[in-house]
Amino acid sequence: MNRKAQMVCLWSAPAFMIVFLIGFLIAGLLPPPSPHSSAIKIAHFYANHTNAIRLGLLVMLLAGAMSVPFNCLIGVHLKRIEGRSHVLAYTVVAMGAVNCILICMPVMIMTAAAFRPLRDPNLTQTLNDLAWIPFVMVFPPAVIQNLCIAFATFTDGSRKPVFPRWVAYFNLWCSFLFLPAGLLTFFKTGPFAWNGLLSFWVALTVFGSWYFVMFYALREAIKSQAADEAAGAEPATERVVPPVTAVPQHA
Amino acid sequence: MSSGEFTAPAGIDGAASDAAPTPRQGRTFAGHVPGEVGVWVLILGDMTVFALFFGVFMHYRDHAPALFRHSQATLNQTFGAVNTLLLLTSSLFVVLGVSAVRKRMRTVAPKLFLLALCCGLAFSVIKVLEYSAKARHGIGLNTNDFYMYYFILTGIHFFHLIIGMGVLVFLWRLSLKPDVGTKQIQYLEAGASYWHMVDLLWIVLFPLIYLVK
Repeated sequence: MNRKAQMVCLWSAPAFMIVFLIGFLIAGLLPPPSPHSSAIKIAHFYANHTNAIRLGLLVMLLAGAMSVPFNCLIGVHLKRIEGRSHVLAYTVVAMGAVNCILICMPVMIMTAAAFRPLRDPNLTQTLNDLAWIPFVMVFPPAVIQNLCIAFATFTDGSRKPVFPRWVAYFNLWCSFLFLPAGLLTFFKTGPFAWNGLLSFWVALTVFGSWYFVMFYALREAIKSQAADEAAGAEPATERVVPPVTAVPQHA
Repeated sequence: MSSGEFTAPAGIDGAASDAAPTPRQGRTFAGHVPGEVGVWVLILGDMTVFALFFGVFMHYRDHAPALFRHSQATLNQTFGAVNTLLLLTSSLFVVLGVSAVRKRMRTVAPKLFLLALCCGLAFSVIKVLEYSAKARHGIGLNTNDFYMYYFILTGIHFFHLIIGMGVLVFLWRLSLKPDVGTKQIQYLEAGASYWHMVDLLWIVLFPLIYLVK
């Protein structure tokens, strides 16, 4: 096990959250613009704070990619649970990649909206819709991740499970809470609109708390993996690795 | 997990706490937590969110009391009441089922879970009838605020119920197994707790949406 690399991946999660939040605030996207706003109002928003929006979005784009190492770290620890078949780990990693795209794509569409803010307001509004709808409605890959983590944790038969079982239940809870975001397609006002209490604020809170919980769970998992490897016999891979890596390194 | 581990048929509370597994790590819990501690993260978490839903509903109801009252009058309260009875009955079957498994009544227990499942199915049929009756009258999600909450809150509850029926199938299969160890009892209790939550949420949802004037 490469503990240092794992720790870097672990800490990429809070880095992602903080950088993303900073970008969000710089761009002035918090609270989100109402889906009920007129085209003129939306165009004004992009025209008046153009450079702040561009800068904020650039920072968010940087953050977007930082979510990937953390998702891969989850995959690595699911692999430990799964033993020989790694389907759940691969699914989590793949969904992590999809999530990254789903975060970056709306950011880039908003960048396009802020690129020529003086165009026809209806076009800017269309771009704004095109960005905000996927941005808030991205729940399915996250739900699949939640279910994979829960399923792996429930089936962890080892004496020292990688994740405690409440982590599985917590993930199920998160998956429930991501679902209302899907309702934003029906509404322009109220709690289920894309800036509403239940589809935006609750989902955002759950998203944040999921990162906190998984950060804690993974930190413990890394610790116990290190303890296991220090206490038990040297894992076979570690003994094999030096001669194998030595060849390509010096070749 | 062998049958030897499962010491006594735990019908009474004292014996039930013997069946409670020792938490694998961290603190030990003196009392008996139904199922396992983790499932309560889900149940209490879910109930918190429903409390938030109910709060939002009450908030918007205050803004348009007349609209909410008029729209509420169009709901079929008989369907709602029958569904309440069905869920309460199903919860009773689940309670009896879990205790039947504890008492190792292997022929009765699976039947009780199937009966609970039938109640859930009946609830679903009524729900579909109710929704389609509304749709026939041209009432949908966007008709007004009341119907929005009606459809979404009952819909999210319905979604929980469908998952709950999956859980009941799981409990039924567990009850068919010849060997019931502490782990199985733990799963049974966790699943049963989830089903009771579905029941409890409906018991709040029904008066709130159908009855409260």
